[in-house]
Amino acid sequence: MLNYRDYLSYSEKYIQLAEDELADKLKFLIPSILLSWVAIESFTNNIMDDFASLPADLFELHERSLLLEKKVEFIKHGSDMGKFKLEQTEYKKVEEKILFLIAKFGNLSKPYKGETLWQKFEELRDIRNKILHPRRNMDLELTIDKAYKYLETSKNVIQFVSENVWNKKISF
Amino acid sequence: MEIRFEEKAKKSRNIKQLAEQFFKEISTLESKLGLPIIIFQDGVNSSYYSKCHILASIASKFIDLNAKINASDSESFRANRELMLKHTTYLKMKADASLGREFNDIIVEYNVEYEIDKPLKVWGGQHRAHAISEAINSGIDRYHGFKVYFSLNKNQRTEVALISNTNMAVSDDTFDRMLEETTFGYTLRKWCQKVGFLGQGEDFPDVGARSEKISVKLARSFIVNYYLGLDKGKTIKNEELDKNIYEPYVAESGVTIDQQYDRIMHEEGEKILNEKGLLEAGKKFLTLHRAQYEKVKINPKKIKNLKSYRNKALIVSVLCGWSYIAGLLQNNKRRLRNHYKIPKTTSKIPDPLNAEEMSHFKHDSDPPTYRGLGTRQTSKDIQRIAQVFLAKSLTDNCAFDKRFLLKAVSTVVGLTTLKKGYT
Repeated sequence: MLNYRDYLSYSEKYIQLAEDELADKLKFLIPSILLSWVAIESFTNNIMDDFASLPADLFELHERSLLLEKKVEFIKHGSDMGKFKLEQTEYKKVEEKILFLIAKFGNLSKPYKGETLWQKFEELRDIRNKILHPRRNMDLELTIDKAYKYLETSKNVIQFVSENVWNKKISF
Repeated sequence: MEIRFEEKAKKSRNIKQLAEQFFKEISTLESKLGLPIIIFQDGVNSSYYSKCHILASIASKFIDLNAKINASDSESFRANRELMLKHTTYLKMKADASLGREFNDIIVEYNVEYEIDKPLKVWGGQHRAHAISEAINSGIDRYHGFKVYFSLNKNQRTEVALISNTNMAVSDDTFDRMLEETTFGYTLRKWCQKVGFLGQGEDFPDVGARSEKISVKLARSFIVNYYLGLDKGKTIKNEELDKNIYEPYVAESGVTIDQQYDRIMHEEGEKILNEKGLLEAGKKFLTLHRAQYEKVKINPKKIKNLKSYRNKALIVSVLCGWSYIAGLLQNNKRRLRNHYKIPKTTSKIPDPLNAEEMSHFKHDSDPPTYRGLGTRQTSKDIQRIAQVFLAKSLTDNCAFDKRFLLKAVSTVVGLTTLKKGYT
C-alpha cells in the first residue's frame, strides 16, 4: 500500500530523470506532475477514511456522504420508505474534501481561497486536468522548474491539511 | 576487642553482640591489629554497619552470593541479578584482582538465619566478591574493604541492595523484583504461577529484556490494566464502547513502586489470587502468547524466527492494550469471548498477531522514523493496540491482516482528531 510519501518521492525521481534526459523531457515531467497530484489525493482520501471508519452516528448524513463518497438518496419504497440513505457511489472532488476537512477540524477564521497556496493548488489542478484531458490544440509547456514547483505545492497543501486537521507538522 | 558506637549511632546491645560474634567468627585486619571497631548507623534507614578489611581467602569461605530479601522465608528467592561472568567489565575486574588489586566497599550483611556456613550475604559488589575469590587460584590473597551490616529488617535490606547498586548497570527488573517482594510479598509471583506465566518454584527474571518470561513490570501492568479497563467498562454502555479512545497504562519500573499498582494492591492484595475474571484473562493471554510463540517458531519459511516476533504478546504495548480490553469487556460476554479467541492465521498470516505486518505498519500521520505497531511503549502505540483488540472483539473470526490493522488505527486517529489535540 503506497502512501503520499511514496508518491512524492516517485514524483521527485521522475524530475531527476527528466534532468538527465537530453531529448524528450516531457515523458518524465508528465508522470512527475501526476504523481504530485496523486500524493494530495492519497493523503486527503486517507484522512477521509480515518473518519469514515468511525461509528456512523458521529457524523451528519451529508458529512458521511462526503466521507464515503456516496449519494444521499430519498427512499420512496420498502421498509425504509421516507428515510434518507447513502446508496450509489458518487465521487467527490479532492478540493471539496479539503474544504470539508478544514471547515470541520481547522481553526481558520477567514476564507483562504484567495491566498497564494490555494492559487498554486488550483494551478496544479489545472495542469493535471490538461494532462488527463488532452486536446490537439493544447500546449503543455512543462519545464523542470515548473515540475519542482508543483512538487513543492503538493507538499505545502499536504502540510496545510495536516496542520489544520491534526494540529501537527509532518515530515516528508 | 574494643567495639564502639560512632557518636551519631544509637547504642544497641543486640547490635554489639552481633558485631562481637562477627569479629570473633571472621578474622579481620582490624581485629588482628587490635584496632577499635566502630559501629555506624545509617541516617536514612537506621541500619547498623561497620567497616573492616578481610583477606580474600577468608572472605571467600563465608561469602554468599545468593542473598535473599526475606531471610526467614524459604519462598524468598535469590534477589541479586545474575552474575555476568563473561562481561568485559567483570573480566577486567578479575584480571585486576589476579594482579593484586585491592577492592573496597563490598557490601555484605552478616546474617546467620539461612545458609549459616556462608553468613556474609553480598548486597553490593557481587562481581568484585566473585573476582577476589577467583584471584586466590592465581595465588593472590590480600585484604579487601567490606561494609558489614547487622540485623537488617526487610525494608532496610532492600534499600541497602538498591543504594549499593545505583552506580551499576543493574536492571530495573531486578529493582522491581526486590521491591515487589519487600512491599507485597509473593502475591504477584503466586498469581503468575497460578496463571502459568511462571512455573512452580520459578521467579521473575532479573533482566526482562534478555529473558522470554514475564517480568515484574509486565505482570504489574497486566493487573493494573485489567482493573483500569474493568473500572472504565462500568461507566460505559455497550453501544458506546467503540466511540472512545482508551488509555492503557504502563506500570513504572525501578526504584519506586508504581502508584497505580500500589493502589490496586492495597485495595485488592491477595484477593487477586482468586479473582476469577483476572485469572481467566491471564490464562487466555498466556494462550495467545503461547500460540504466537509456537507459530513463529514452527514457520521459519513464512516468518523470521525473531525474539520480538515470538514474544509479540509480551511487548509492553501489546500486553497493556490486551489486558485493558479484557477488563473493559468483562460486562460484555459476547465481545469478551471474541477477545479471548486467538486471531485467525492463514496462508498469508502465519502468526496470530501478524508480527511482521505490525512492525511494517505506518499511518500517514506517523513520522518516517515510526517503527511500527506494537513496538514502543508510547501512549499513541498503546492506544492503537487497545483499539486493535477492541475492534477484533466485534467478530469471532478476525485475522490481523493489513486492512484490519489499518482500520483499527484509522479509528484511533479519527476519534482523536474529532476530540482535537492529535499530536
